Order: sequence, then structure tokens, then C-alpha cells
Amino acid sequence: MPRGLDLLAVDDLQVGYGKIQVLWGVSLRLAAGETVAVVGSNGAGKTTLLRSIAGLLPPVAGRVVFRDRVLGRLPAHEIARRGLALVPEGRELFPWMSVHENLLLGGRLCAERLRVAENLEWVYGLFPVLRERRRQSASTLSGGEQQMLAIARALMSNPSVLMLDEPSTGLSPRVVESIFEVIAGLAQRGATILLVEQNVYLALAVADRAYVLERGRLTLEGTGQELIEHAAVRQAYLGVAEG
Amino acid sequence: MGLDAASLLQVLVWGLVVGSIYVLLATGLTLIFGVMKLVNFAHGELMMWGAFLTILIAQSTGVNPYVAMIGSTAAVGLLGVAIERLGFRPLRGTAKINEIFLSIALILVLQNALARFFVPYFRENAQIRTPYATEYFSLGLVNLRYDFVILLAVAWAITFGLWFVLFHTAPGRDVRATSQNRAAALLMGIDVRRIDMLCFGIGSALAALAGSLYGVVNPFSPYAGTIPAIKAFAVIILGGLGSVPGAVLGGLLYGVVESFGTFFLGGSWRDAIAFVLLIVVLMVRPQGIFREGA
Repeated sequence: MPRGLDLLAVDDLQVGYGKIQVLWGVSLRLAAGETVAVVGSNGAGKTTLLRSIAGLLPPVAGRVVFRDRVLGRLPAHEIARRGLALVPEGRELFPWMSVHENLLLGGRLCAERLRVAENLEWVYGLFPVLRERRRQSASTLSGGEQQMLAIARALMSNPSVLMLDEPSTGLSPRVVESIFEVIAGLAQRGATILLVEQNVYLALAVADRAYVLERGRLTLEGTGQELIEHAAVRQAYLGVAEG
Repeated sequence: MGLDAASLLQVLVWGLVVGSIYVLLATGLTLIFGVMKLVNFAHGELMMWGAFLTILIAQSTGVNPYVAMIGSTAAVGLLGVAIERLGFRPLRGTAKINEIFLSIALILVLQNALARFFVPYFRENAQIRTPYATEYFSLGLVNLRYDFVILLAVAWAITFGLWFVLFHTAPGRDVRATSQNRAAALLMGIDVRRIDMLCFGIGSALAALAGSLYGVVNPFSPYAGTIPAIKAFAVIILGGLGSVPGAVLGGLLYGVVESFGTFFLGGSWRDAIAFVLLIVVLMVRPQGIFREGA
């Protein structure tokens, strides 16, 4: 893939917490309009990767290039301002604010007020249950509704890249299905998405391309379909024994 | 005083007056705690700096002390901004104990710096003299000092103003967001360090205003801020750490309880009431009236 088309490029990223290094030279690319998944087991470093790209965890070495500019050690709020949105693991909502206020905070980077109103209509359309709960405080929502709110809040700023960290965690299969329907819809309409998931099958189904992250290193790369058919992936993550 | 309606009413009025001072003090403290998760033990010293600067400005320029308070409040607000920028910000991310040491160091520095200027002028105690010191409204049963009325008006105008900004404006929403979830606030594009600086400045300014109003109704010395600050800690624990509505309700409640407690039990109990209240709250409802961050 030609380099100029990459919206986001991660080069040889090394990240750690104190003395414990988690990522050992991760490189990946994300082109505009593409949906890319990073799959791997618990503790592989998926969350660390997204938190580092978002600026919440400064890298030890390596770099992140977003829209042809090196993010370096920019603070997280500057990275958000440039159009990179993260839906963090554990949702990280503002618990004692209403659904509506959470969404307004998501839209605070919009230059125009009109845009905020339009985006509110858009995300309430994507997740109608949020409209019903609009005056409720975020802490009173169910897990699935909280995940929907976290995604909607990130969409409020019309980000150029949407990063999703484990959107399926702790949710019932039915809720997961409806959330992934929305993600697939966004992907089809041309959104650029970087999705991190433990649920490998689900992630590979919506992704154009995917990487496998194992103990801090990317070990495999391919289209979603290729990886679903890949023997090692089938064995390790999809629970299919070969033979 | 006997147990007649007039004296009870007088006790209530006094409770509301001191309660309003505690409201300002506690609101500032809880605002700082909310966004920075930091207890500034030197809050009472900022308070006394406010009172002292008010006298200084009023005496050197001849303006009404209530006008002088605008200047002293702004000056201590800027001092707060400087303390955050140069003191607490570099410590962020290091062990919590460093912040505690810094705020204890600030007590010593601010107290002694104040004494250095204060003692030559006032010896032990000073009081802010207003032109209305001997004027009263007569409200049937009680006489209401002009100063009490002005004090209540100033304190509540500021409190409601702050309330409005926090709960009904976009910058206020950014402050509440930072208080409720700092990482998520960053992800929304909020420059949380600016919010820290702003809130430390506003919190310090509120302490200075509280100190100036305190100085109108009480004599004070450079060391007089310690006990009111401890009471403000009790108030924010009562109201819920980081909760502004909690600080407002808690401060008012505390003022009235203290006033009646002193009336019925005697003056020597006045400062013990805060600690009794603190112990009871920690045993019965450790999370306070409101939850953090509201």
C-alpha cells in the first residue's frame, strides 16, 4: 500500500509501564476508509497500543504519524483535537452527568454549534435507546447502554480515526451483536476504524485487514478472511482444532 | 442570654453568617480537590492573606473595604495560579506525599511571610473596619448589622454565580468532566492542566474572599486561618469530597450547628464541634451527603 494514503502509521512503537515493557516494536498502518482490527489474547498489549496512540501513555521509543504529522509526545487533548478519538476500555464515561451532557462533551471539539446539534441527531439515530435515556445520569445505564454512549460520545466530534478498545467486553451476545452492527455500518459508510478485540471472530468479520498481537509483538497480518482461515489463528483464537 | 425567641433568632443569624463564610471556604477547597484530587492544607493561610490584603488596600487607598476585597481576592487568586504552576504541577504523577509536604510547607511560608508584614502594624490582631460597623436594621425581634446583610449578599452572589458557571456553561462542564474522569476529559480534548490551574486560582480567590468577610466580623491574626480551614475540611467531608453542592449545603449546615452548639454548650465547645461532626460523619456516612464530583 502506498505510504501517502496512510491516515495513521505506527512505527516501531515501544511502550511500557515503569520497568515493564509491554510493546516491543509495533508497526501498523491504517488507510483512510479502512477498518483494521488488532486481535490477540488478554495481556497481549492491545489496550496499551491504543492508549499510547491516543497520547495517554507516552512511548519509550518509536513514533506515531497521523495525517503526515508526527504526534511525538503531544498531550492527549492535543491528539484528540487533531481528530483521533478513542473509545477506551471500560468506557470511561462521566458517571454523574446525563447522557446528553456526556454527548455534549464529546462534541466540544466541533467548531460550530450547528454541527453539535446535527451530530446529536445522528448518534441518537444510531443508538435510539440513548435518546430515551438522555436525561439519565451515565452511571445508571446498563453495561450495553454505557458502551453505546461511549461510542456515541466519540463520534460526536466527527473524528477522522475512531479507535475502539474491546467494545464487546462484559456484554451479552445480543448487545454485542447490535453494537457490532453499528460498527459495521460505520465501516461501510467509509469511517476509518482501528478496532481492538479479544473476540477474534467478531473483529475479523468487520475488519478489512487485521493484525495479530502476541506478547507485545505483531506476529501476523492479513485480510480478515485470510486470518479466519489461517491455521494458527483458528487454533489459538477461534478454538478450532486442526486435523 | 435566656432561651427566648429573640436570642435564638440572633443565634440563627450568626450561624448563617459564619456558615456563609464556611461555604466560600469549603467550596474553594472542594473545587481544588475535585479536579486535582489534592488537599491544600494551606487553604486557611490563603484566607488570611485575603483578609490582610483587604485591610492593606483599604487603608492605603482609602476605598471602602468591600471594594478593596475585589483587589485582594484577585491578588490571592493569582497567587494560587502561581502556586499551582510552580509548586503542584511539577509534582503531578509523583507520590501523593510530595503534595502533602508542599502544602504543609506552604502553611509555614505563607503564615510567616504574613506575620513579617502584619506584626509591625497590628501586633496581635486586626479587624477590617467598615463604615457600617455601628449601623443596624431593626427587624422586630432582632437587630441585623448592615455588615451581616452585605456579607450574606456577597457570599451568596458569588456562590450562585459559581454554581451557574459550573452547571450551566460549557467551561463549567469541562471542570466537572475533569473532576469526574480525568483521562476521559483528556480524550474529549480538555486541557486538564489548564483546568487545574484555573480551579486552584478560583479556589484560592474564594479562600481570600472568605478571609476578608471573616475579618469583617472577627478579629484575626496571621495564624487565625488554621481553625477555619480545619472546619472547611470537616465540611467537605460532610458534603462529599469534590462536591460543590455538598460544600454549600454542608457549610451552611455547619455554621448553624456550630452557632447553636456554642450557644447551648458554651464557647469552649465551639471548635470541638467540627471534630465531633467529622467523627460522626465518618462513622455513619463516610461518602458524605453527596457523592464526589457532582
